[in-house]
Amino acid sequence: MRKFLGLALALTMVTAACGGSAPGGGGDSSALAPAKDVAPAASITWWHAMSGVNGDAINKIVAGFNSSQSKIKVETVFQGNYDDLLAKLNTAIASNAAPALVQVYDIGQAYMRDSGQVVPMQAFIDRDKFSTSDFEPAVINYYKYQDKLQSMPFNSSSSMLYYNKDAFKEVGLDPNKPPVTFTEVADAAKKLTKKDASGATTRWGFGPSVYGWLFEQLMATSAALYADNGNGRDNRATKVVWNSAAGKAILDWWKAGVDGGYFFNPGIDNDGAANAFNAQKTAMYIESTARLRGHINTVAGKFEIGTGLYPRPDSKPKDGGNIIGGASLYIMKSRPAAEQQAAWEFVKYAMTPAVQGQWQSDTGYYPIVKAAYDTGPSKEWATKYPQFLTAVNQIRESPQNRMTNGAVLGVMPQARQRTQKMIESVLLGRETSQAALDAAVADMNKAIETYNKANP
Amino acid sequence: MSIRTVLSYALLAVGSIVVAFPLLMALSYSLMSESQIATFPPPIVPVRPTLNNYADVLDTIPIGRYLLNSFVVSTAVVIGQLITASLAAYAFSFLVFRGRQILFFVFLSTLMIPWEATIIPNYMTIRTIGWLDTYQGLAVPFMATAFGTFLLRQAFLQIPRELWDAARIDGASSLRFFISTVIPLSRPILGTVAIYGFLSTYNQYFWPLLVTNQTLMRTTQVGIAQLRFEETLRFGLVMAGVVMVAVPTLALLVLGQRQLVRGLTAGAVKG
Amino acid sequence: MGWKSRDTRDFGIGLAYLAPSLILFAAFVFVPLAQSIYLSFFNTRATGVATTFAGLDHYLELLTSPAFRTGLLATTLFAVYTVPIGIALGLVLAVMLNQRLRGINVFRTMMSSTIAISAAVGALIWLLLLNPSLGLLNYILSLVGIPGPDWLIQPTTAIIAVSMTTIWLTLGTNIIVLLAGLQSVPEEIYEAARLDGARGLRMFRSITMPMVSPSLFFLLVVDTISVLQAFTQIHLLTRGGPVDSTRVLVYSIYQDAFQNFQFGYASAQAVILLLLVMALTLIQFRFVERRVHYQ
Repeated sequence: MRKFLGLALALTMVTAACGGSAPGGGGDSSALAPAKDVAPAASITWWHAMSGVNGDAINKIVAGFNSSQSKIKVETVFQGNYDDLLAKLNTAIASNAAPALVQVYDIGQAYMRDSGQVVPMQAFIDRDKFSTSDFEPAVINYYKYQDKLQSMPFNSSSSMLYYNKDAFKEVGLDPNKPPVTFTEVADAAKKLTKKDASGATTRWGFGPSVYGWLFEQLMATSAALYADNGNGRDNRATKVVWNSAAGKAILDWWKAGVDGGYFFNPGIDNDGAANAFNAQKTAMYIESTARLRGHINTVAGKFEIGTGLYPRPDSKPKDGGNIIGGASLYIMKSRPAAEQQAAWEFVKYAMTPAVQGQWQSDTGYYPIVKAAYDTGPSKEWATKYPQFLTAVNQIRESPQNRMTNGAVLGVMPQARQRTQKMIESVLLGRETSQAALDAAVADMNKAIETYNKANP
Repeated sequence: MSIRTVLSYALLAVGSIVVAFPLLMALSYSLMSESQIATFPPPIVPVRPTLNNYADVLDTIPIGRYLLNSFVVSTAVVIGQLITASLAAYAFSFLVFRGRQILFFVFLSTLMIPWEATIIPNYMTIRTIGWLDTYQGLAVPFMATAFGTFLLRQAFLQIPRELWDAARIDGASSLRFFISTVIPLSRPILGTVAIYGFLSTYNQYFWPLLVTNQTLMRTTQVGIAQLRFEETLRFGLVMAGVVMVAVPTLALLVLGQRQLVRGLTAGAVKG
Repeated sequence: MGWKSRDTRDFGIGLAYLAPSLILFAAFVFVPLAQSIYLSFFNTRATGVATTFAGLDHYLELLTSPAFRTGLLATTLFAVYTVPIGIALGLVLAVMLNQRLRGINVFRTMMSSTIAISAAVGALIWLLLLNPSLGLLNYILSLVGIPGPDWLIQPTTAIIAVSMTTIWLTLGTNIIVLLAGLQSVPEEIYEAARLDGARGLRMFRSITMPMVSPSLFFLLVVDTISVLQAFTQIHLLTRGGPVDSTRVLVYSIYQDAFQNFQFGYASAQAVILLLLVMALTLIQFRFVERRVHYQ
């Protein structure tokens, strides 16, 4: 017994003494990938966070890959939701138990890169001269740092406005012309809010949940930066900058709505907000494009669902657009070269138009490659869910710049929590918008400093 | 029946429904379609009860396997806890030795240590000795229990002194007395410790998530989490999973509730 | 208390009985704790690997940070709302259940059913119930004319909501322990008191309460410890919000360890929490236990 205790303690001390190694910088990264002639491993493991229907879709892709060739077998492991998966991966890295391929959510980007545990996808792309010309620019750009692709986008979504067409007709609004600017949304919301005889509200016009991601999207459509150094994409961010006029405008609009009684506040409960829309307690709300199918199935024809562009300031800034969300695939460095090779083979397969088209049809995520839209399943999807066209057009029409690429921070999960607290504080009347913005920025800058110091 | 009795029954009925209401609601929602759940006013009884959610749960996760795993692990933990806790409780109640007070406080202190402080080093230990994805990895860290030790100690302290003295006179060793007298007399309280241990192991989430990778080794709480999808929430499905996972523990409670209470009743050891 | 064992006072023998427990505790509680304490004095990388020595930095930063004070306040409120009410409610229900009526076991099972429900499951159900616009709780309140608050949105009600959920989760345990305590009271004592003219409330106060005080004390200690470590329901209901009103110490440890990956800082908080719990338990034993009436 003493022996294994001693071993365990020694092992952790050793791990504590050695650090992780820092990755190299830019340049042609093909050197980071295994040599082209390395034979791929016979089997690799893929950790993911998709369950239910999406989990089935993943298994379908993997089954297709496994049966399409006999060299490599991919095994999938569901590891809980994104948060749990990342916590588990973090622990696994420390004890050298990471898998070859792992799906990590969007805001885990900087963490993955800074951990030094990832083989950048660009390395394989450069080595094999793999063409990404047909890849959706908005999607690819989200996962680039210093213009190098760190991971392969896998399940991508964005955000849009959902609205109740029947409610629009009821109050005399044009059901085919959803509001686009802040003022338009507020005006529509006022008209759509209904009260009963006793003055209690029976339906609110607009019901966004307090979700940090929605705030990030609003900053992007406002063409405002979230963090410095090109949103953390030209170099590591040293501070956040959302306490700008754009940030204030967003919070003021939101608060005015809640105070005025025409915006519903579901708090941080995203599912609650979705359900409120389904139950016609709210006539409009904003959320991920990936929720579309769920809404249509649950509403089951009780009312007609419309989708519109994500709200933006009245000035409709030319540089404003939407950010991509979702998750991407990382190849882990700690695995032997053969496994990395195998992982790359699988990634390439997953990006073929046929697979992408089926994936979209099964899940409602964006296909990564444009050619996928021409496949059968994708076309069927378009016929069944015409509302999705809004989502597609939105990212196609989004200008590609640092604001719309979205921010990259090692402390992004923390930033998201902090912006949520900031919004709560303003909505509760505890702080004015500027004070709340400044306080949140101050807190996050401290956190960023700590992070940068701890992860040189 | 007197007015008093009727009143008692009424109060009891109301109280029971209020306390059990959340569970009854979960059952109710599990029989509703998503469409019905997403309505206002919130539904209380299913309009067209359907078993679809249950079918979907069976399709989505191998819940039978998860239930089996949870059972095996919980049973193993219970057996381990009964052995380690009764031995320790015996020492704390019958034997006198130096440092007994200090060691008692050492046991007590384990109850107060936050799990976040120990969970990651424990994961690393389990991984190092190759116990990931095994029943032992899931069970062994929990086979000692300070809580159970205290409960048993309380009960052992009530065993009549005469029995002990008689055994001494007969020349029996402390171990013999333990096995032939103390244990048989303590069946109710042992039952209580067993039930507690079973339920708390059954309800674990984070530890099974950390130490299992293979689907086939996972447990029920991890399974329920799989019903909560990242991009959509299906309340009915989640509630169906909740009901399916709670049924065994509720059954255990129905069978063991009397046992639990008896075990904790002072003087229970007298039989 | 301890009988004098005639055959030995040997430390070794006693230790032999304790050995299985002690070995497991050493391996899975104390050694990991030591590792965490060790980490609390270091800065750590995101992967948990210690980088530079930080000495008491983390501790000093914690003790001077307003977020920590908020956390302490939230923890205190949470404990104060949950423990006394949970025990009192358990006592009332246990008294109701301590009657000799036919079919009483059905009621006993129904009321103690919460013991079989995990915190995650319970929190999910309550999340549904507490939804401001669609939850059954506010709907039922509205039927009797009370406008339900936005439970999880307002800071004051959020902590109450989390408290309600936790009281419900621990109700089963409380009822069972108190029911056992009530059933331990010998009937003769009640008889004697009745002969002396004691009835109803007076009987309850002067006979029942003292007799049941060991169980009450037990629950006080155990419930306090468990409330101070409650995590799952907060994670599912509020994530520590709104505006940190439910960000109890245990939750901020979780966030720092598993979300922000600052293990050194989180370990320091865990050590402080441990010290707090130990202090609180000691206080309870020192000052409250003397009012407990043991037979």
